Amino acid sequence: MVSRMTNAIEAAGLVKTFGRTRALDGLDLAVAEGEVHGFLGPNGAGKSTTIRVLLGLLRAHGGRASVLGRDPWRDAVAIHRDLAYVPGDVALWPNLSGGETIDLLTGLRGGADPALRTRLLADFELDPRKKGRGYSKGNRQKVALVAAFARPARLYVFDEPTSGLDPVMEAVFQAEVRRVRAEGATVLLSSHILSEVEELCERVTIVRAGRAVESGTLADMRHLTRTSIRTTTRASAAEIAALDGVHDLQEEAGALVFDVDTDRIDGVLAALTRAGVSTLTATPPSLEELFLRHYGDRVEQSA
Amino acid sequence: MRHALALQLRRDRLIMPVWILGTALLALGSVAAVVTEYGAHAQQLTVLRLALVNPSVLAFRGAPNGVSTGSMLWFELFSWLAVVAGLMNVFLATRHGRADEESGRRELVAATPLARSAPLAASLALGTVANLVLGLLLAGAFATASGVDAAGALTAGATFAVTGLAFLGIALLVGELAPTGRSANGIGVTVVVAAYVLRAAGDSLGTAHLGSVTLDVAWPSWISPIGWGEQVLALSANRAVLLLPGFALAVVGAVAALAIHARRDLGASVLPDRLGRATASPALRGVLGLDWRLHRPALVGWAIGGAVLGLATGSLAHAAGDLTSSGSPQIVQTLKLIVPGGREELQSLFIGVLMLLVGLLAAAAGVQGALRLRQEEAEGRAELLLAAPVPRWRLLLDGWIVAVLAGVIVMVAAGLLAWLSFLPGGDAGDGGVHAFGQALAELPSALVFPGIAALAVAVVPRASVAIAWALFAIGVVIGLFGQLLQLPEAIIRISPFDHIPNVPFTDGGPTVVLLAIDVVLAAAAVVLIRRRDLST
Repeated sequence: MVSRMTNAIEAAGLVKTFGRTRALDGLDLAVAEGEVHGFLGPNGAGKSTTIRVLLGLLRAHGGRASVLGRDPWRDAVAIHRDLAYVPGDVALWPNLSGGETIDLLTGLRGGADPALRTRLLADFELDPRKKGRGYSKGNRQKVALVAAFARPARLYVFDEPTSGLDPVMEAVFQAEVRRVRAEGATVLLSSHILSEVEELCERVTIVRAGRAVESGTLADMRHLTRTSIRTTTRASAAEIAALDGVHDLQEEAGALVFDVDTDRIDGVLAALTRAGVSTLTATPPSLEELFLRHYGDRVEQSA
Repeated sequence: MRHALALQLRRDRLIMPVWILGTALLALGSVAAVVTEYGAHAQQLTVLRLALVNPSVLAFRGAPNGVSTGSMLWFELFSWLAVVAGLMNVFLATRHGRADEESGRRELVAATPLARSAPLAASLALGTVANLVLGLLLAGAFATASGVDAAGALTAGATFAVTGLAFLGIALLVGELAPTGRSANGIGVTVVVAAYVLRAAGDSLGTAHLGSVTLDVAWPSWISPIGWGEQVLALSANRAVLLLPGFALAVVGAVAALAIHARRDLGASVLPDRLGRATASPALRGVLGLDWRLHRPALVGWAIGGAVLGLATGSLAHAAGDLTSSGSPQIVQTLKLIVPGGREELQSLFIGVLMLLVGLLAAAAGVQGALRLRQEEAEGRAELLLAAPVPRWRLLLDGWIVAVLAGVIVMVAAGLLAWLSFLPGGDAGDGGVHAFGQALAELPSALVFPGIAALAVAVVPRASVAIAWALFAIGVVIGLFGQLLQLPEAIIRISPFDHIPNVPFTDGGPTVVLLAIDVVLAAAAVVLIRRRDLST
């Protein structure tokens, strides 16, 4: 009972198979009430399948799940009264205008807040009179986002909501997520863009091959974020390799290329400047690279 | 242009042979049927004279030119084959034109070192070849009839090719004007249908000469590409000079399309895409409102079809009276086999046949409505609705309700216009009421099909479209041709259309059973859809 009060979403050991493919293979997920929870993973990891199970669109073959304290398959309608959802690939009715679609979708949940609707249309720079078939991918996503945000909900579920948005619109989206969190709502944000998750989420669950491989606060997971550095320096390769937090050092065309734990970056930079640096680029590794590095072997072994 | 043409040929390697061979085979079969049914001079004279005094027959067929097998074939077959050729050209031009541009595929091609006009020129070339091949095959089909000479067959083929080319020119031009593939197809199909309707109007308003069995058509036929083609009177008069207007239209359309194409931006169109409403009307605030809105355009089409058949009922029923006196026992026999119940009076037979056709239209409108949920699901839009507080049985039930409404509207439209069509003959009290009642009597049978479609969507979503239409097609074949093909009685009894009561009603039993089946099918679908996953 206690966990029901504190967790908006709880799933344990979810299994879902499509033919011989095991899309979910014992997935666990816990999203506390009032938090913005990042749901990370490479394409095909099972993020969308999990979300569809939580929405009651698919029935899990194993495990249990509760959303807002209810069974997502049996009580889908009751749950959805308090829920707003934006799918990853938004399909709209070709001959309905964006405004009509927004009113239809919010109307099913009880109607939009008119002032909010007007402001969201302005902030997302969306023309509501265009027909569904005339919108680009980004604009289709905006229609679904405005429909989701225009009526307050207890739980917001976003499946890669910004994949078609430009950086300005991404910022608008982030501002809206912060607003609904301030109002006390819970947000599940699926993404494979690490920076977006870092901006917004307190806690993160990482999935791969249908399982949660890591779950916790971002601070806990700092070890994940290694920065990749490429530099031309007078320091020798051996000198750098010996520094605390440096991994996978290689020499490429006179430059040194290596990864460094983000919390050790200070010491490494100090050592580099002491020796003398002529060029330096630092890139955070992509999430995909992190997965390959951290989980590739382990998951394969256990699978 | 060679590369663009190769690309279009590759994409069309299946669809164009299907169009062309399919049309040719249809023509071949129809030619044989006409020759078998009306091979003898006496039969031709009876049928063509009957047509000349009956405007609605002229509207559905064409203009006779004397009594001969050639005249008979042209009268029976030209105008609808011309419609098929026209549609082939419209879809071809849109597929490689506006639809390609809208989807963004054209952008890929335009970025290659290919001339800007190459895809359009390639469509023109492809369409021209397609029309020539179609014309040649149709010439061959007509040449199989005895009494048709080579010159006649070739003129007939050339007429189809030129009529097709005229529509190709129009469709290419429409592709430059319309903003989307959907609207380009819409405008193109409207032009083809309008050409047919103008021809129908011109023919039925024409002056008939019963002695020579010829028709001087009225002006509407002379402003229609199908009218021009018809007036070539191939297989009899062979007035090849009347191929010129169609050819000129093809050239004008193609030249105008090329000129606009050379001057406009990629993706730009002369007609803008219309903007919609910024907010939804109160009617669109629920699933039922949405279903109604989505099904409305198709429903209007089905209802117009029903209305046209209804409107023809009055004058055809009167023609039936004439037929009884002039006596063609073969036709009477055929009609009796199609209509269940075996009625003796020919007028009520005619009403039965037309209302059976309307019933099939209503069933098709219903099937299409009930299958819409499957389309919404496959294209990912049902997900948006089901993530809102809408139970899935509600989506299914509302879809079925709209499907039922569609069937009812088609039948009522047909019944009302059938009733009206009896007014000029002063027969509204008897024939009109009979026709209206017969229309309503079809409904319980017609509504079995949307029920089957809904159940298929609930249980076997991926196969539902194929299953629903296949069963409908079987229903059509059994209903229209079961007795004719001498199928076993047990099979014929399966078709819902074999259980339609004749007006005036004496036994309500079958109707009650059919209505119960309709409800049970829908109820089963509503229950069963709760058990399955959303499937894309």
